[in-house]
Amino acid sequence: MSATTTTTGPAPGRDAPPAPAGPPRPGRVRRARPNLVGGLGAGVWFVVVAVPLYFLLVTSFRASSDYLSDGPLAVPSGLTTDNYLEVLSSNFPRYFLNNVLVAAACVAIVLVLALPAAYAIVRSRSRWVARGFTVLLLGLAVPAQAVIVPLYLMVTQLRLYDTLLAIILPTAAFALPLAVVVLSSSLRDIPGELFEAAVLDGAGPGRVLVSLVLPLARPGLATIGIFTALQAWNGFLFPLVLTQDASVRVLTLGLWDFQGQYGTNVPLITAAVLLSLLPLLVVYLLGRRFLLAGLTAGAGR
Amino acid sequence: MSTWSRVRRTVLAAALATGLAAVAACGGTAGPQAGGEAGQLTLWTLQNEGINSVQQAAVDRFNDTGGPQIDLTTYLNDPYKSALQTAIGSPNGPDVFYNWGGGNLKGYADAGQAADLTAALDARPEVKQAFLPQVLETGTIDGKVYGIPMQGVQPLSFFYNKDVFAQAGITEFPTTWQGFLDTVDRLEAAGVQPIALAGAQSWTEMMYPEYLLDRVGGSEKFQAIADGKPGAWRDPAVVQAMTMVQDLVDRGAFGTNFTAVDYDNQASQALLTSGRAAMELMGSWQVTSLNDNFPDFLEQGKLGWAPFPAVEGGAGDPSTVIGNPSNYYSVSARSADVPAATDFLLTQMTDPQYVQGMLEKGQVPALTGIEQQVASAGPFADFNTYTYDQTKNAATFVQSWDQALPAAEAQTMLTNLSKVFTKELTPQQFAEAMDSAGR
Amino acid sequence: MSTTSVTGSGRPGFVWAAPALAFFALFALLPMLAVVVLSFTAYDGLSAPRWTGLDNWVRLGSDPLFTESLQLSFVLTGVSWVVQTAVALPLGVWLAGRGRSRAVLAALFFVPLLMSSAAIAVLWGTLFDPNFGLASVLGPLVGIEDGNIIGSNRYAFAAVIAVIAWQYMPFHTLLYQAAARAIPAQLYEAALIDGAGRWRTFVSITVPQLRDTIITSGVLIVVGSMTTFEVVLILTGGGPGTASRILPLHMYLEGFRSFDMGYASALAVVLLVLGTTLSLVIARVTGYRRMTSQREGM
Repeated sequence: MSATTTTTGPAPGRDAPPAPAGPPRPGRVRRARPNLVGGLGAGVWFVVVAVPLYFLLVTSFRASSDYLSDGPLAVPSGLTTDNYLEVLSSNFPRYFLNNVLVAAACVAIVLVLALPAAYAIVRSRSRWVARGFTVLLLGLAVPAQAVIVPLYLMVTQLRLYDTLLAIILPTAAFALPLAVVVLSSSLRDIPGELFEAAVLDGAGPGRVLVSLVLPLARPGLATIGIFTALQAWNGFLFPLVLTQDASVRVLTLGLWDFQGQYGTNVPLITAAVLLSLLPLLVVYLLGRRFLLAGLTAGAGR
Repeated sequence: MSTWSRVRRTVLAAALATGLAAVAACGGTAGPQAGGEAGQLTLWTLQNEGINSVQQAAVDRFNDTGGPQIDLTTYLNDPYKSALQTAIGSPNGPDVFYNWGGGNLKGYADAGQAADLTAALDARPEVKQAFLPQVLETGTIDGKVYGIPMQGVQPLSFFYNKDVFAQAGITEFPTTWQGFLDTVDRLEAAGVQPIALAGAQSWTEMMYPEYLLDRVGGSEKFQAIADGKPGAWRDPAVVQAMTMVQDLVDRGAFGTNFTAVDYDNQASQALLTSGRAAMELMGSWQVTSLNDNFPDFLEQGKLGWAPFPAVEGGAGDPSTVIGNPSNYYSVSARSADVPAATDFLLTQMTDPQYVQGMLEKGQVPALTGIEQQVASAGPFADFNTYTYDQTKNAATFVQSWDQALPAAEAQTMLTNLSKVFTKELTPQQFAEAMDSAGR
Repeated sequence: MSTTSVTGSGRPGFVWAAPALAFFALFALLPMLAVVVLSFTAYDGLSAPRWTGLDNWVRLGSDPLFTESLQLSFVLTGVSWVVQTAVALPLGVWLAGRGRSRAVLAALFFVPLLMSSAAIAVLWGTLFDPNFGLASVLGPLVGIEDGNIIGSNRYAFAAVIAVIAWQYMPFHTLLYQAAARAIPAQLYEAALIDGAGRWRTFVSITVPQLRDTIITSGVLIVVGSMTTFEVVLILTGGGPGTASRILPLHMYLEGFRSFDMGYASALAVVLLVLGTTLSLVIARVTGYRRMTSQREGM
């Protein structure tokens, strides 16, 4: 009972893919009179969203010398890609790679741990599983800031300070609760008869997991994978406190650092911001449905 | 939930918690020694593209003598403070560590984490006498030397845009407070913002009351605060300094939007160099920083500098400078090889090659008798000579408040100070707030 | 832990959930417990934690900054909820309608979703620069002559809230758009026959139908507001003065600038309690608690 919510309102929290496409929806009845109020409101919001984005895009192609003299909204006299080249020749690609590593590792850890856990939650009758699930639920909305002090101490004691692992482990841990919850809701939709049939065939839990659960859980796995990747991609606090060296810096910190280093060179900073959002933009353009599904997998942050 | 499982859960939680507390405790009460095996020492310093190479060269020279090998690690400012705080004395802590001297160093000395270098330094009088006494003072806690100056002296001065001054018809930088206020008014009348202030960070705001308190009441007023004497913050001189600060704000000396101006992104420097503001009070690093970010400004000879004016009738000595006397290297008390680490400091920090390297990067080492080198080295010889003379001739070199005070008090002071600048607190309220926040 | 269920049932035992639980326990649960323990100690990182009993908690009670930061966090949460819901709901409903232009707009509206908080804060920090940013141009238009928005006690916090809204609004719009599309068309047809106007339809059909989404979105806004951190850190650093120092930031500054890790831990416990309470509310509201598959419509 999750993925497809076409006849009732979406079950809160279980809004996996919001089914944006699909057959022509039985939409609102077209009226003769266009919705002026709605259009006007949307227009205002359009300006609010578009102006900063326009600024971002145009400024990143301006020469930095023009910016201070012409002001922020002037139509640029000439366009240049120098800013991008300069950003790319800095440490930026390194930060980018670190981000990819962190995101990939977090996704791997979360997927590998969450799938068997969700399977156990849905099928096990062990009281311990139920209790474990309750504990995970308690961690659903606990802000990571709350544990940053002891985490910092743990990481220094474990000699993980200034390593990518220091970011990966807690990030994955804090992404686990939601991943397990989302995944178990999607596994619940697998009819019990299928499990029973598999067991009658003599399959143990391991085989059931691989041959039955895994194929059916794919949409759920994709969703939590995207969600975890986003979390890891945008994380800020863990890298801020648990790393410091440029060799293990991630994009979010890199941007902040960039702003410190080239503060008044706004064109350079906007180019860096744009480059940092590029990978997601590509994913968005290619797999919009998928990405939005991941975003709406419960928290979007 | 059954009683039994509740008990079990409580026991489990308690066990976990004690385990962690024990782990945390290891951080403080460390094992036998830092830095691992003897023969391998680590040195922690701040990341600074200019001078890291000079420091590395010093380390290499030391390593080439065939004794213990030193390994240099660099950190960014904020992470460095927390990393040092939690790692010093632990097995992965440094043997030699960068610090700010004064209150910052006192914390390590009091916790028994910094080695006493007095005897080693006394055994080599020629090295001891090479350091400027005003600067070595900040590395000395309760009469014992814990820190050796390792970087340039960093007094605070006014940096001004000569063009803007000329356009407003001002030829000389004022030397008295009244003259300074007149200058502010004239600049404002000429339609420029008199002072660029990066008020998004309160440490830039702090420079004004630091100097004013010293000029009005003398250096002993802040000394009393740094020593934690009861009631020191309530001194009338503190209130007067804050009143003078608010007077500047009221005159529009800083313009109106200074609280949104950031130093870290050079916004205040941009105001100064673009001529939208006439001057900025800043540490001596301003010159290298301007050179990095606004090279044309320096090339065209538009940059002027001058010491903070004297306050008429004030008890302070106008030659007193404020800022970071220098930064210091200290040796961890738990280092596997304290003698070798000490030896590194006593041989390399006064080494002519090191001095020359620092000077070329615009840093003026805290040493006596190097006028010749200062005047001839590097692109900033003029400014360096000014800095050197100012430091050498200073009655006292007062350490910046945020470095001299314990971290927590420094943070409270900065927060309250920013409220003085925005007029949320009166000078009296500031004094009372700081007094009650006392230690 | 041999709590595997009756063998032969073919059901997975506890062992399948153990790795995930152990991992979570080590890197999330253990620190949570530790933070509670540390809140009863004085700890500067330098020397071992000293047991100080309730000192930190007593200080918490008398720390005006704590009260202020907690208030700011609540204001941030409340205002964010009102603002974001009031914009996202109608916008989502409007975007649910057909039309090329709406599709194009929708694509644009969602771009802020792709930016990290850090990128958004850096972008807006640039825009808010009072001398060289957009604020210097637009400020005078709205009566802020000197462009001083993030440096003013009056506007800084509002600016923070606005930036956070700009960041998260697209997400909630998306939720409402999906939900509005799922409202059965018959309901609207019936309303049309009754001659209900657009506003009447919106109030009496659309909004009630979106009830569940309003709850979901509301819960998420609350969680997000409680955990917002980097936007404030990068944009204002909690300033001017303490005008935008929300609770998580207050905790961070106490722990990693003042090195008062014991007191920071006490502040963290407050965050922890808020977070756990929220988690319980979410579990209750969303029915996540149910372990077994029951077919029941919501």
